[in-house]
Amino acid sequence: MTTTNPVPDTQDPRATALEPAVSVRDLHQKYGDFEAVKGVSFEIRPGELFGLLGTNGAGKTTTIETLEGFRRPSSGTVRVFGQDPYGNPAGVRERVNAVLQGSGLMEDLTVQETVALARDMASTPRTAGETLELVGLTEKTRTHVRQLSGGQKRRLDLGLALLTRPEVIYLDEPTTGMDAEGRIDTWRIIQRLKDEGTAILLTTHYLEEAERLADRLAIMHRGRVGVEGSLQDVLSGWGDRVGFTLAADVPTSDLPRLDGAELEVENGGGQLRATYTVRGGHVDERAHHAVSALLAWAEEHGTLLRNLQVRGASLEDVFLQVADGAADLISD
Amino acid sequence: MSTTSAPAAPTRPQPRPRVSPVKQTLRLTRTEITLFARYKTAWIYALLPLFFLFTAMQLPPDPVVGGFGLGEMTMFGMIGVISLIFGVGHASNVFTARRESLVLKRLRVSGVPPLAIFGGVIGVVFVFSLLLTVFIAGLILAMPEGALPRDPVMLFTSVLLGSIVFSLLGLAVTPLVRNAEMAQMASMVPMMILLFSSGGIMPLEFLPETARTVVGLLPSMPAGELVQAAYTGYDVFGGFAGAEEVGTLGLWTAALPSLAVLGGWIAVLGLVVARCFRWDPRQG
Ligand SMILES: Nc1ncnc2c1ncn2[C@@H]1O[C@H](COP(=O)(O)OP(=O)(O)OP(=O)(O)O)[C@@H](O)[C@H]1O
Ligand SMILES: [Mg+2]
Repeated sequence: MTTTNPVPDTQDPRATALEPAVSVRDLHQKYGDFEAVKGVSFEIRPGELFGLLGTNGAGKTTTIETLEGFRRPSSGTVRVFGQDPYGNPAGVRERVNAVLQGSGLMEDLTVQETVALARDMASTPRTAGETLELVGLTEKTRTHVRQLSGGQKRRLDLGLALLTRPEVIYLDEPTTGMDAEGRIDTWRIIQRLKDEGTAILLTTHYLEEAERLADRLAIMHRGRVGVEGSLQDVLSGWGDRVGFTLAADVPTSDLPRLDGAELEVENGGGQLRATYTVRGGHVDERAHHAVSALLAWAEEHGTLLRNLQVRGASLEDVFLQVADGAADLISD
Repeated sequence: MSTTSAPAAPTRPQPRPRVSPVKQTLRLTRTEITLFARYKTAWIYALLPLFFLFTAMQLPPDPVVGGFGLGEMTMFGMIGVISLIFGVGHASNVFTARRESLVLKRLRVSGVPPLAIFGGVIGVVFVFSLLLTVFIAGLILAMPEGALPRDPVMLFTSVLLGSIVFSLLGLAVTPLVRNAEMAQMASMVPMMILLFSSGGIMPLEFLPETARTVVGLLPSMPAGELVQAAYTGYDVFGGFAGAEEVGTLGLWTAALPSLAVLGGWIAVLGLVVARCFRWDPRQG
């Protein structure tokens, strides 16, 4: 059975109609003999958020630094608005901004001075009030940056990146160090940027963040992309698990075959546990179909599905699999 | 934080008006001045020239050029390298620290062009060099045989060109070092060489002609000589002995080789900085 996904709601037709704002093709990046990025490709269109996930040292920041124009690719090409971003040339620099993995604030300035400086450097900036309001720092305008808490600095980083109204924004772990509220606020801000047509590259170690925000994502490990696609593509490859304990009087040979599912029976503590891994069918519905078929089967056989568990594919499962280097199983 | 507003449809970007790099440079200079003032240790750079000024006063007062003694000539030379102390010392230090703390990277990703960033530090070096110059000029005026510079424009030119050359030199040091402490150590070497070859600490009169010519190719001696000429109105560019008093045009004509040396250094160091400057701690 093949998966025929209807057009996912995340793929906005008006977005796909536009030229990609960012394109990376077969990027390789070397530090001396060490190859940190080994053939990464992706595109980001206006209004689209691309989630770049991956293990520590996978090469995410290196990829972003290449887009930011700090390093030339060892091979492959990167383009921002069709231009080579190396050196952040005019035509690119006014339209792009970023939250760096590290902060990069001038500690001796106040919040107000920091924002005022950034505004005076930019062509069509947001107002200081709007920016600070966006990131919830209105009460801290007079505070010296060195006196801000870690999460407050992170908010200021985000504020500065939004201030120039960029059309492309690179967010390298923007919510690291933020409290739950700050993180949720940030998701709301990012969602709004998307709606406004900003092309966004987001790296994060919070998979929930990517699940919520990413239209497409890639999981990197040791310089390579293990899996790539929409959240649905990525999850559908991994499958949902339906498991239950078999009643003692039912032989395993009686267990039904389900379309698009694989059966595994394990013996644990004298009991048999059956697990169906469902990969076929629509990702949102396949677990339902599997469970309903199993319930019908149980009814028919006059038995119960004891300790029934349904576990949907989570991004974490996929992530761990990529990190284990077992990505080939699920990549397309 | 704000609530979500109605999503706007993606629109084709409007071309943005360009912010003039000059405006950006001046704005960054303003912030550099604020930071310099808050960064207390920077004031040490201001004390160093005053200390050398004091030692110069101990030199014999016998007139060597016009009515000016060796001590006064040395003081004038000292004014020429105030920007050396600010430029090489301050620029190398803060730019290394800022690279390591990602401040430079942050400025770059927010779209500030390198020229404005470098211009900002040249600006602060120039402003403080000029302030100290004016202060020292005041001291000189207040001395018993006080004098005002005969050609203030030439004095100003020397401070300006010196600020550019020496700030660029400070910036050129930064790719060689990993942290601000190392930057301070590393910048000591060129700073000392240039200080002693400036004529602002000890007179260079004792040097043989060829040695003087060679030292004259370094940027500090021309900067010092320009101030000496500006103050005295004498063509001191070939040494004090036999220096003649000349008119404004004559003085500027005589100054051309020194101006050319400074211009040459600006070109060379500008190229070095443009090519080799590192914005990112992980680079290279
Ligand atoms: N200048 C350098 N010299 C040598 N190796 C480097 C250099 N810079 C980065 N690396 C290596 O390149 C690899 C990729 O680093 P990068 O910062 O891109 O990872 P990342 O995916 O952003 O990781 P994290 O999630 O931890 O931020 C790492 O193994 C790192 O050690
Ligand atoms: Mg990183």
